[in-house]
Amino acid sequence: MNNKEKLLEVKNLRVEFGKKNKKFVAVNDVSFDIYKGETFGLVGESGSGKTTIGRAIIRINPAASGEVIYKGKKISGQIDKELDKELTREIQMIFQDPMASLNERAKVDYIVSEGLYNLKNYGSEEERKKKVEQALLDVGLLPEFASRFPHEFSGGQRQRIGIARVLVMEPELVIADEPISALDVSIRAQVINLLDELQKKKGLTYMFIAHDLSVVRFISDRIAVIHKGKIVELAESEALFANPLHPYTRSLLSAIPTPNPRVERNKVIEVYEPEKSHYDYDKNPPHWQEVEPGHFLLANERELTECKIK
Amino acid sequence: MSSKKIIGKMADSIDPSLFDFAEYDESKSELTGYSNYSFWRSTVQVFMKNKVAVALLILMVCVIIFTVIQPYLPNQKSPTQIYINPETNLQYRNVQPNDEFRFGTNSIGQDLWARIWSGTRTSLFIGVAVGLFEALVGITIGALWGYVRKLDAIITEIYNVWDNIPSTVVLIILTYIMKPGISTIIFAMCMTGWLEMARFVRNLIIIIRDREYNLASRCLGTPTNRIITKNLLPYLVSVIMLRMALAIPAAIGNEVFLSYIGMGLPLDIPSLGNLINEGRALMMDPNQRYQLFFPAAVISVVTISFYVIGNVFADSADPRNHV
Amino acid sequence: MAQKTIEEIMNSEVVLSIKDLVIKFNLRGQELTAIRGASLDLHKGESLAIVGESGSGKSVLNKSFMGLLDSNGRIESGSIMYNGQDLAKFKTEEDWIKIRGKEIAMVFQDPMTSLNPLKAIGKQVQESIELHQNLKGEEAKKLAVEILNDVGISEPERRYKQYPHEFSGGMRQRVVIATAVACNPNILICDEPTTALDVTIQAQILQLLKNLQDKYNLTIIYITHDLGVVANVADRIAVMYAGDIIEIGSSEEVFFDPKHPYTWALLSSLPQLGVKGEALYSIKGTPPNLFKEIKGDAFAPRNPHALKIDFVERPPYFEVTPTHKARTWLLDPRAPKVEPPPLVKKMQELYIEAGDKVE
Repeated sequence: MNNKEKLLEVKNLRVEFGKKNKKFVAVNDVSFDIYKGETFGLVGESGSGKTTIGRAIIRINPAASGEVIYKGKKISGQIDKELDKELTREIQMIFQDPMASLNERAKVDYIVSEGLYNLKNYGSEEERKKKVEQALLDVGLLPEFASRFPHEFSGGQRQRIGIARVLVMEPELVIADEPISALDVSIRAQVINLLDELQKKKGLTYMFIAHDLSVVRFISDRIAVIHKGKIVELAESEALFANPLHPYTRSLLSAIPTPNPRVERNKVIEVYEPEKSHYDYDKNPPHWQEVEPGHFLLANERELTECKIK
Repeated sequence: MSSKKIIGKMADSIDPSLFDFAEYDESKSELTGYSNYSFWRSTVQVFMKNKVAVALLILMVCVIIFTVIQPYLPNQKSPTQIYINPETNLQYRNVQPNDEFRFGTNSIGQDLWARIWSGTRTSLFIGVAVGLFEALVGITIGALWGYVRKLDAIITEIYNVWDNIPSTVVLIILTYIMKPGISTIIFAMCMTGWLEMARFVRNLIIIIRDREYNLASRCLGTPTNRIITKNLLPYLVSVIMLRMALAIPAAIGNEVFLSYIGMGLPLDIPSLGNLINEGRALMMDPNQRYQLFFPAAVISVVTISFYVIGNVFADSADPRNHV
Repeated sequence: MAQKTIEEIMNSEVVLSIKDLVIKFNLRGQELTAIRGASLDLHKGESLAIVGESGSGKSVLNKSFMGLLDSNGRIESGSIMYNGQDLAKFKTEEDWIKIRGKEIAMVFQDPMTSLNPLKAIGKQVQESIELHQNLKGEEAKKLAVEILNDVGISEPERRYKQYPHEFSGGMRQRVVIATAVACNPNILICDEPTTALDVTIQAQILQLLKNLQDKYNLTIIYITHDLGVVANVADRIAVMYAGDIIEIGSSEEVFFDPKHPYTWALLSSLPQLGVKGEALYSIKGTPPNLFKEIKGDAFAPRNPHALKIDFVERPPYFEVTPTHKARTWLLDPRAPKVEPPPLVKKMQELYIEAGDKVE
């Protein structure tokens, strides 16, 4: 992995909401890298801060401390106009709820062209139309859909419109914030395959945010598990499934429903209770460390020795 | 598997060749319903279903057209001229409605018919002008106030200060210090009216500004002005239209109020306010009541019509009602 | 826990019987047929999962026997027999009041929308009890505390006085379930009860519902779009597509021996079955437009195994076993033999093996 080019580095990122008295730390001291061309999965439950990290990278939520580095340049905090424009094109986001993320009062043509209008990177009106058409074709929709309103489309189609809107920007890094969790299971595969195909065709890098490990496994090269604003475990996805070390990761894995009534009926779910699962964190606080090459874990000395024994 | 049984009707009559595989065309499976929906067409359709509103709309259009062409029709009298009875050489004072003076005359012998239409014209002009201005300024400031976070604190302060001065006081002071006239009264009402509109728009925008589609636009680098015009205001059309429709009768009512306290238009410009004020003085005399009745009837019809039309339009411009 | 066998279920009495139900909606001046002649028998004490994608009519179907259809919808024909009365003929709210809650209760997807934010949660449970169980005051309160305890809320006496915002999503859903159970209903409908919840909580809620079913003798209907979720809880599974039940059977039959191409597709597209590095199986296209009249099998345009007749004539139900039937021409003796897609076959083998090991 180390010979790969780092596209994005997140260092000790901290994001806070609210004013002094009611301060709420959504993301606490989070560090990870995303390599060019990979899919980095970020898994956590609601309120874990996973969406906030994505939004901090795309600069909707400001970082309280720590930094985000993209292609060697710091992009958190104040940046100049040139870089801002560049980042707008290169880092894009796919949203969770296709019902809420499209402007209902605009036609598909405008929705997909919105970024183009902003960048003005097209010569003529015809060229713009061509680009929109191509983007729609890329996501498996018909070009004639451009003249319609979003409400005429099903959830899966709307999500693909959202992807077309991102594609037209020709981005390098795409942050996909739970792009399939609001979709029917039957449509999920469609969207995942599409994302996969586009990655191969256009060399995209993905950060894939999800709450469900079963889906992330297929699309991700590496997975980070986040709990209450802290990343607790990070590993290559097969390593994580084969050898989950953190009790929280294990509980997430055990909760994945199996489509098999016989197995399911006898399943025991592991429950993660931080008070019971960890020992003496007051005296012996956990550190972020590499357990084996490429496998990171948030643990204290005692837990570390235990998982080495295993 | 072996003992298959058809539960539904036996379908033996089916041509066996139909049990061949059909051709599978993937692109066809993508086609879905095309409802050919258009926002404005649906709005008009829903509006048209309300017969009362349509009748009132036609009535209002007729009234507006009539107030404009009325002076050019044959046999019309001047609204300001004092008519003198050639036989007695006295003014036609307080003449009851008759063939010559359709709505009678007032206490100094002016033709009430002409005065009412002239007054309606003035009042409607004031109402529409104030309504448009309020909408323009209110929406602009309200949108910036609601969407641009940096402006929030400062506009809120201005609003608080301005709003704490009773609008009647502002109206009275402004009409007092400026030269009485139509433009003064419009200006005075605009100075107070936009506030409510701006706050109203701001509140609506705050509700929808953080929806995902607006975040998406921000991620795409869409500038604020386009987010406001393309993403936010289209969602508010129905409610803003209602406010505008209500602003017109409100302005007319304000004009009546100002005239009533003697701060309105000068007496030589007929307006519904002036007419009602004159009529009010004669209210106690049963024979003279027509002088109050006619302008009051006109203002009631105009106010109610705008109110109903505005409400029905707001409902029909709400996509939820486009069933 | 003793799982009921499919025979036991099929032999127990039918509590709710739906026959040839057709439900239509008027939308933007057009007519939409949301339910196209669906039939279904619900047996006492079973848990039935109704699985389908959005727009398949699964929610509409369930709303129709709660009297909760939107005002532009109506039951065109067919019957819903419950306790000797035809619910399809109900017109007034008064009729429905007797059914809603008391006989059939519902748990919705989003717990926040079904709780009153201004009322302590204990009071809300207690109100259900007072309204439906003829208990008053202290007695009702005692029962409310007991039910709260049953749905897994620790220290129910203390939490009785707390408000919904003091609870997490999973806990709120438990409260909602408590208010539903407090009505002492016959049938409990759970509309995507876990969709809004985290994965780890999901499993707990499903487990809870299973436990409650035994204790309160409930018949449960689960509505969901995710076949994977119901493997754990359902005795029988009904698969809906475009307003019709296209396959119904015991959950083992549907998972291990599905017959309808749509069920195949639905199973194959579960991400749990995918193989890394390969594309996941996906159903092409979108569900049909229910504004138009559907000819033949509604799934035909998306079905790579479609026969010509699928575009001409609507298939009848073919019985596979006494408990398993499917609406597809592929089961007709004259139809060519079609093998289920590899993923479905693989799962059959793999999981029958795994299942045997567990047992």
